[in-house]
Amino acid sequence: MTTYTVYKEQLPGLFEKWSKQYALHVPARLREGFYDLVPWRKDLEIAWDYDVAYNSPKRFVMPPHEALITYDRRTYEAKPVFGAPKQILFGVHPYDVKALNQLDQLMEGGSPDQNYIRRREATVVMAFEPLTVSPSGFWASVGASSVAHGFDLYWTKVGPASFTVEIGSAKGEELLAMGGALLPSTAGDKEGARRAKARILTKARKNALRYNWEETPRLLAKCWDSPLWRRYSQMCLACGSCNTVCPTCYCFDIREESDDKLETGTRYREWDGCMLESFAKVAGNHNFRPKAQDRYRHRYFRKGKYIYDKIGELGCVGCGRCVRACTAGIANPLKVFNELWEETAHEY
Amino acid sequence: MSTKLFSPYVPRPVTLVEKTPLSDFVTRFTFEQDNGKPLAHKPGQFVNLSIYGIGEAPFSISSPPRRTNITFEIAVRRIGAVTGAMHALEPGAKVGIRGPYGSSFPVMKFVGKDVLIVAGGLGYIPLRSLLFYQLRHRDEFGRIVLMVGTRDPKERIFVDEIADLAKSGEVEVMETVDMPDSTWKGNVGVITTLLPKIDLDPGNTYVAMVGPPIMYRFVIAECRKKGIASEQIFVSLERKMKCGLGKCGHCQINELNTCIDGPVFCYTDIEAYQEAI
Repeated sequence: MTTYTVYKEQLPGLFEKWSKQYALHVPARLREGFYDLVPWRKDLEIAWDYDVAYNSPKRFVMPPHEALITYDRRTYEAKPVFGAPKQILFGVHPYDVKALNQLDQLMEGGSPDQNYIRRREATVVMAFEPLTVSPSGFWASVGASSVAHGFDLYWTKVGPASFTVEIGSAKGEELLAMGGALLPSTAGDKEGARRAKARILTKARKNALRYNWEETPRLLAKCWDSPLWRRYSQMCLACGSCNTVCPTCYCFDIREESDDKLETGTRYREWDGCMLESFAKVAGNHNFRPKAQDRYRHRYFRKGKYIYDKIGELGCVGCGRCVRACTAGIANPLKVFNELWEETAHEY
Repeated sequence: MSTKLFSPYVPRPVTLVEKTPLSDFVTRFTFEQDNGKPLAHKPGQFVNLSIYGIGEAPFSISSPPRRTNITFEIAVRRIGAVTGAMHALEPGAKVGIRGPYGSSFPVMKFVGKDVLIVAGGLGYIPLRSLLFYQLRHRDEFGRIVLMVGTRDPKERIFVDEIADLAKSGEVEVMETVDMPDSTWKGNVGVITTLLPKIDLDPGNTYVAMVGPPIMYRFVIAECRKKGIASEQIFVSLERKMKCGLGKCGHCQINELNTCIDGPVFCYTDIEAYQEAI
């Protein structure tokens, strides 16, 4: 693994160059306590110490509304639509890189989703070691504090004005080299990066699962009939906010819109959410998950068991976005999993 | 690059060639593939059918697999936006399809065995694909018993076809309705009431069933009572299938995707899933 050292003063030049070829998104403060990846501009102050982007990066690879095909009602011909803007996501925290890696596996596996694949291929991910942990984040305890792949560059702040940059891909190295000659990191800088990681991990571990995250699918397998599901879900507003902000929720609906002459039109996909009342409802109004309890449990099983059984990872990366987004205060994977663990502790 | 232009979301055009009413609400549609090829489906599979401007919905294929014939049939109850628009189509009209998708009834397992086909409500529509495939190879199977249950006589579908099957002697047909009217002379009661009336060789009988969600639990219990093992019971389950590719999440039964893992499941494989039956 090659690591270079880059100084803060080099950044404006790099950003300027990258932004000519790519849509460049960087972390910025929106208002007190709210951060997001936003389009870079010269006078923008980068929020190096952002805790979490309130909106997840899934929108860059799977937009909330994405055209799939165009159709012609007169001939019944249909054509695929692919949108894949060249984009750089700068400053993505490792738990979000992990979420992207997970989407990659799920969308590329089985019947490959070409719309997703093309968008992903046009996306450069520049990861950044977090400096702050959000009050609801618990990523360090679900195996999401570091990633081995899925980034083109991995930035770590090692001094007031310096970063180490680990190369994750040839594309990443090429982009970094646009700033001029690359300076290999010294042993001291590499040690600085290791310390920076250790520092943030100490902070991040304050919110933690009380057990090894790999136990989650086994834990859930015992908890289908737990009273917890009802206790929490009674307050569910079925708004789908937890689905919307979740970096690994990717369920979608397919809809379409015709032009005003009703001759041609576009079929698109739109984010959907398993917490919404109609999610599993079929024609004739039979609902396969009619109660909030059914839907609530389904979501936690998906995060804690179904995805794990498929790809060997938790479907929750511990970003804590759902905790903050839930108006009823019931979306909280950490609390749910810990409580289930306590409930069944006597069985171990 | 050009190979990548493929998208699994793009339907291909087919043309409606025949439209036959089966009851007040149910119509059979016969389509012909515009690409001039047979659909190449297996019994129990489905297609996603598009009416542009209205939407896309999954439908079981009702016709048996055909080697050279480029037509296929589906039968549809008028109940929502897409099915409503379908009923307004006339022969010559085009629709789009994707598929065939999903799992199928394991006909090769049924060879040499007796087969009990349990069709509740509209369940006869997909089971017809299996039944007529078996009839084409009639001597390769043992007894074929068809049980048909309908809410009331007016909702019966494929009435003449089922009567002909009974007369042919190739299929043992048993029918019942839940709510008889003055015209009905046959069995009365839910479909489970038919099972005690027949002798089956449990070790040698495979079961294929399709019906409303409520039906499965009771019919499976009756089959088990008769000594038919879970491995010999196959069900086709309905869920809200949207993408047909195992991606969109709507049709999940616990962790299974009905659209790719199903719709046809061996009961053994779903027994443990709380959301299945």
